[in-house]
Amino acid sequence: MANVGYIVRKLSGLIVTTFFVLTFNFYLFRVLPGNPFRLLFRGAGLSADAVRSLNAQFGLDEPLWVQYIIYLKNTVSGNFGLSFQTRAPVIGLIVPALINTAILLSAASVISIVAGILIGMLAAWRRGSKFDVSASATTLVLYSMPTFWLGLVLMFVGVIYFALPVAGMRSFTGISGIFGQLQDLARHMVLPLLTLVLGLTGQYVLVMKGALLDVFTEDFMVTARAKGISNRKLLWDHGFRNAVLPMVALVALNLGLSIGGAVQTETVFSWPGMGLLIYRAILARDYPVLQGAFLVVTVTVIVANFVADMLYPLLDPRVTEQ
Amino acid sequence: MMRLAIFYLTLVLLLTITAPALTTVPLKAQASPVTFTVGWGAAPMDTLNPTAVTLYDGGAYVVMHAIYDTLVMADVNGNPIPGLAQSWSYSNSTTIIFNLVHNATWHDGQPFAADDVVYTVNTYLAHSELPIMRLYVENVKSITAVDPYTVQINLINADATFIGELLPAMYIIPKHIWQDISNFTSYTNSNPVGTGPFKFVSWGGVNTYVQLVANTNYFLGPPHIDQLVIRYFTSYNAMALAVQSGEIDYAGPLFPPSIVPTLTSATGIEVVTRPDQRYYYFCFNGYPQGSGNPTLRDVRVRLALSHAINNTELAQVTWAGYATPQNTVMPLTFANWVNPNIKAYDFNLNEAAQMLDSAGYKVGSDGIRVSPNGVKLSYKLEVPSDYAEEYRAAQVIANWWKQIGVEATPQIVDTGTLGDEVVSWKHDTFIWVWSVGEIIGPDYFLSMFRSTEAQPAPNGGLSDSGFNNSMYDQLYVAQEQATDPAQRQTIIWQMEQILHDNAVYVPLYDPLAVQAFRSDKFTGLPSGSLPPLNQYASNNLFLSITPISTPVQTTQTTTSVSTTAQPAPTGMSTETIVGVVAVIIIIIVAAAALSRRRKGEPTKAQ
Repeated sequence: MANVGYIVRKLSGLIVTTFFVLTFNFYLFRVLPGNPFRLLFRGAGLSADAVRSLNAQFGLDEPLWVQYIIYLKNTVSGNFGLSFQTRAPVIGLIVPALINTAILLSAASVISIVAGILIGMLAAWRRGSKFDVSASATTLVLYSMPTFWLGLVLMFVGVIYFALPVAGMRSFTGISGIFGQLQDLARHMVLPLLTLVLGLTGQYVLVMKGALLDVFTEDFMVTARAKGISNRKLLWDHGFRNAVLPMVALVALNLGLSIGGAVQTETVFSWPGMGLLIYRAILARDYPVLQGAFLVVTVTVIVANFVADMLYPLLDPRVTEQ
Repeated sequence: MMRLAIFYLTLVLLLTITAPALTTVPLKAQASPVTFTVGWGAAPMDTLNPTAVTLYDGGAYVVMHAIYDTLVMADVNGNPIPGLAQSWSYSNSTTIIFNLVHNATWHDGQPFAADDVVYTVNTYLAHSELPIMRLYVENVKSITAVDPYTVQINLINADATFIGELLPAMYIIPKHIWQDISNFTSYTNSNPVGTGPFKFVSWGGVNTYVQLVANTNYFLGPPHIDQLVIRYFTSYNAMALAVQSGEIDYAGPLFPPSIVPTLTSATGIEVVTRPDQRYYYFCFNGYPQGSGNPTLRDVRVRLALSHAINNTELAQVTWAGYATPQNTVMPLTFANWVNPNIKAYDFNLNEAAQMLDSAGYKVGSDGIRVSPNGVKLSYKLEVPSDYAEEYRAAQVIANWWKQIGVEATPQIVDTGTLGDEVVSWKHDTFIWVWSVGEIIGPDYFLSMFRSTEAQPAPNGGLSDSGFNNSMYDQLYVAQEQATDPAQRQTIIWQMEQILHDNAVYVPLYDPLAVQAFRSDKFTGLPSGSLPPLNQYASNNLFLSITPISTPVQTTQTTTSVSTTAQPAPTGMSTETIVGVVAVIIIIIVAAAALSRRRKGEPTKAQ
């Protein structure tokens, strides 16, 4: 099993990175130009006095280091502050958005990872064949398409020809029972899911194929073949097991980042997740929401990477050795 | 063998995921109750708390007005009509008596009375952390209940704006529910109770939807629909599709012009346009203590440059006809406050050049005019990133000015950065927009030209022109206190003339609010100058809308949506379809070409 030293090293790395992220997160939003209240109220004729009182209420008129200490104290105790827009706790905005994004993106991630691995493996095994070329070309083209455009096209096709709902997460007339609600959710999920899967699969295909081709050039593959090991065992037990390491790194990174939500997809389909939350908060310069959301995203990435670090020794015991 | 297995596995996986989704489910049971679904694509709905709404909650206003009432309401032209106050009278210039309706009830059954009004106003007075709400009662000294259905409000100063502009936005909240609340702004108000035409049923959280049911006891008479659902969309493309497919019955408030052909070509949909309450303008930084180009402080330069801007043409360039040129600082929705005698500056490049010549700004050796002090007429022309479509207008203006020897450099700037620049008076010229929020009246659009709004950095007020004119300031106070509408109109028209003569801004255009409506399913669209779906007077729409009661029509929509959506394929532009076809061709060609090349090589890993 992985030795304790390895775990401790990785854990301390996690803590240091998190602290650095907290600091950078804070600084980043203080450096942005534009007083959020002035812009927020440009259309409401808010007097200079009102802007000043709002600044005071949110502590924006304190010196920077004082704000930083308050920020650290609050974050550690789970208080992400109040949103500038709604003056309601930021946590209350982030948690439902997180759940909605998790629903969409976990499904999209699972499908695209599985599809990516299978297609990538087949493409590597049958390198140069029609399947390989067309699969690689298709996924690459889909991957490089603008997500917004792809979403709109799918929406058009889906709504007109398949009677799928246009946007949102649920209908609210004519739905009854748990099964009915789940079916309704599934119908609303089809189009954004498809948009995401088509876009995401490409990178998994390429990485899997590349890693596997790399493994095929190794001597032990020739040896195994010479020993008469069957194709299937060759591919899975020897090829896949060695090629999966870079895939784990990519999957961990993507899973972490995906919590940030797929902004374009969520915008097109009005899916009320993290991506939409961040987008609207950026437009409104709602710092507390942005800070909270970015913190959640970065911490998730850090944790996901830590989990991946813990998985490597299980997949390849050589990893913990210096 | 393995290939086959993988293929079937993937197929099964895909089918299990998509199967439940592809079974047809009737989208809407329209037979009974009658639901009117509205799509809102502008600012979202962030809160159910009427005391906490801000300008970024434009979508919340619509809902608040459906649930809560105000003493005075706005009619289809934005004029004040009785609400919870059935009549009012001035005892003197600062005292108003409001006679309340007797038959209004709160949604929980409690009767509405003067106590609730007194409580509401005193709450707004006492809580400075409710910035918007406090704005409405700024001029209120006190309020008392004369009897259970009469209140008296004492103002600090005589105020022409109080009735018409402030009251339609001040929601009356129930005393018996709110009196125990200590922290107003963070109170979630998860089950709002008001006196309005619709009762709250549920919402999906921030920015999703709100479900309301008709209040059959509404004091002005019940709505003609049973249910009102407001859905928040983030994409106008999605909303256009939704109204075509019948998923929503009304869509707004501001469709971009590019989507209009999609809507007009679909059957069963009526496109509704009205002037919106905002206008785009060209600003000169004339602040004497600013650090922008000093030549703009000379009114002769500003006047000359104003003759080199053609706002009619710009409206066409930027909005393809979906904007009306505007010649004063008053949006065209406020018909009676717009001075009809003010015409656009004569667009004449020769005249502009002559004006600059005779003012002493001669053309230099590089083709750019120079002031007698040696300052070039070379300006930044900034466009905020939130309104990047105005960049085209900026380019056209720069081109016109080039012909008269003035250099303008258009650039898109982050909105926040531009805001900072304006506060520190570092800008030269820019294109921006003024848009009304909750307060419906001319006041706001005149307020940014007062000298008190032009503060040295870093204080900052609303002013971005630096205009300072004592006559204007006096007139502003006068119109605020002129309770006689005719007199107020004279004063306001005079103020607009002053601004025009001093070329403070070049007002550009007032975009049309484009909305879409399923005229085959509903009737009763309100006429009037306001867009039917707007922030504070949408109740006029919700109360007049009536279903067209032909049962045949409703079953059609439930069984096959594709039938109603038949004309829609013209929707997504032909460019999109060409794009999809092109992509497919590219894939096929690439696959064929590459596979042919590789035919001679070993394919399996040996």
